Amino acid sequence: MVSVQLVKVTKRFGSVVAVNNVDLEIPDGRFTALLGPSGSGKTTLLYLIAGIYRPTRGKILFDGKDVTNLKPNERNIGLVFQNYALYPHMKVYDNISFPLRLAKKPKSFIDKKVREIAAMLQIDHLLDRYPAQLSGGQQQRVALARALVKEPSVLLLDEPLSNLDAMLRLKIRSELKRLQKDLGITAIYVTHDQSEALAMADKVVVINNGVIQQEGDPHEVYRNPRNVFVASFIGSPPANIFPVKVDLVEEPCVILPGGKYCPKGILAERLKNLGKETVLFGFRPEDATLHEVPRHDGIIMEGEVYTIEPLGREVIVTLKVDGNLVKVIAPPTTTGRISQRVYINVPRDKAMLFDPDTEKNLRLIG
Amino acid sequence: MKLGHKLSNATFFLLPAIILIAAFYILPLIVTTWISFTPLRDWKISQLTEFVELENYRALYKFVTTHPLGSLVLKTTIVFVVFTLIVNVLGGLLLAIATYVIEERVSLGFRLLWLIPRMTPLAVFGLIWYYFFYGSPQGTLNAFLLKLGLIDQPTFWGTDPNLLPWSAWSIIIFVNGLVGVSYGMIIFYSAFKSLPPELLIAAKVDGASTWQIVRHILIPMARWHLVFVTVWQLLSLVTSYTHLFVLVDWRIVDEWYGTTWALFVFTEAFGTVKNQGLAAAAAVILVIIGSLLGLLTLRIMRFDKITLEPKGDI
Repeated sequence: MVSVQLVKVTKRFGSVVAVNNVDLEIPDGRFTALLGPSGSGKTTLLYLIAGIYRPTRGKILFDGKDVTNLKPNERNIGLVFQNYALYPHMKVYDNISFPLRLAKKPKSFIDKKVREIAAMLQIDHLLDRYPAQLSGGQQQRVALARALVKEPSVLLLDEPLSNLDAMLRLKIRSELKRLQKDLGITAIYVTHDQSEALAMADKVVVINNGVIQQEGDPHEVYRNPRNVFVASFIGSPPANIFPVKVDLVEEPCVILPGGKYCPKGILAERLKNLGKETVLFGFRPEDATLHEVPRHDGIIMEGEVYTIEPLGREVIVTLKVDGNLVKVIAPPTTTGRISQRVYINVPRDKAMLFDPDTEKNLRLIG
Repeated sequence: MKLGHKLSNATFFLLPAIILIAAFYILPLIVTTWISFTPLRDWKISQLTEFVELENYRALYKFVTTHPLGSLVLKTTIVFVVFTLIVNVLGGLLLAIATYVIEERVSLGFRLLWLIPRMTPLAVFGLIWYYFFYGSPQGTLNAFLLKLGLIDQPTFWGTDPNLLPWSAWSIIIFVNGLVGVSYGMIIFYSAFKSLPPELLIAAKVDGASTWQIVRHILIPMARWHLVFVTVWQLLSLVTSYTHLFVLVDWRIVDEWYGTTWALFVFTEAFGTVKNQGLAAAAAVILVIIGSLLGLLTLRIMRFDKITLEPKGDI
């Protein structure tokens, strides 16, 4: 197993900068997720690590060894694609054994390896079939087996669950996580699905426009988003963010519909030093509570019920707050009617303030 | 939907094609078969109702088995079809692989270059080869070889008795191959282009060299296209005669070493002989042989197997 390091890596395609000056450390033996919307450069980043693309600038190191100019097959990586990319004209056995056959390993060795990995992934009864005769989940396992059979030092996964239906995705998600832990392999996982990244990864790297927005453990990235993009990309539903007026007359406060929020300590100082008329105010849907009469602890604002979506375990209430749509996750027993006036209560330590221009989280600046 | 309804729908959509096939294929086939049983010569229409039973077929059999030119037509046909087919299919495959592997901008120009022979009008194309193989010192090939000092006398390449038969055969194979090879190239190239790029990336990551990708991925994945191009080219080569006609008519190649069965049918019916009855019999034989060859090739290349629906839960 190896650690992977990217040093000031840039990749251009013509005039498009797909990956822009990225520095990244991927820890040995851990599960790292590259998370970003489509077109963010996450797959390009993966292909750079795989050696399919050469960086325009910068270096890629495996365990400190420069692999920038090595071909994919010289890097000892396993790669799993979203569409699995199984060879349709080869049986499952031949698909899995293909990398070993190309490496000219002895037949008995190949046979042993293929059967071992197939047994581990519970596809040993499918070895005689063609990929077209398999279900999506089975094809996925075959692709995984083909990537793992050569005992790669890094396993690269490019949206491997996106082509599966929702139920199967949940099942394979936990299996994949367990498999990575059992093998102790360095895994890099590209996904646009934030819940997948949070659920599976030891480390989440959020990418947008070819630039790393934030990296850290899932909890850290979720609780302390560095900027508006991360806050509004992660979470289901994501954080509510809307512009509010700033009042610096007595003490630094932001004016909310039906209330105001005056932060204390360092945040107050930063709000004051920022000296802008508006900032972006945000909170996570699950941090807020709804009340018919205003409470006097925490931050209070007034809203009007827009829709109510019961999801069984919880209810998502969408409210109109000063023209902005805001989502709050409420207990399953919540009832209400459309256009009803309610009070939203957010604990003070859960409120987020962002610079409207740089979109950075004021709490994390410095 | 009721079956009757379905059938009438199908008929409606198929009707234009059925009419075309009937008018331009089935009907001529019937007329040709009819003529093959008549003594029709010099287009004397009155002879169309006189029947000679199998006389034309007998004459044809006699021509092929006893006349030296008869067996020569047969030999030329086999050599021409087999070798041009190899050139067209393997050459097309090689060109497709080459244009697939190289950079797209270069590849486009390269592919267009190979399409020129196909786009060139027959007369112009014929003229080019007329000058190219012409027997005077000014003929392109002669001038070139003379300059290089490889020969010291100009030669009529396609007709010099000392060089026959392979000189004439080489020319007809070369000229037809040059036209035909772009067909396979286009089909195979588009087949390669339609492969998901991940398949090739996966193979590269698995450690496959370019040659191994060609052998293990590209060629097996283009198998259907290979079958199609082979059968299609086989049937067109068996029946095509236009380029050969120009080559023979302009004396670029020897008349008999450049005459295949298809051209024989044409010259027999429309040339100096004008023996339409015999030509029709030869044409009928050609259709039968063509159909059998087509079916045989499909069988050999296991067409039924590759069009089988996949089994299993998807």
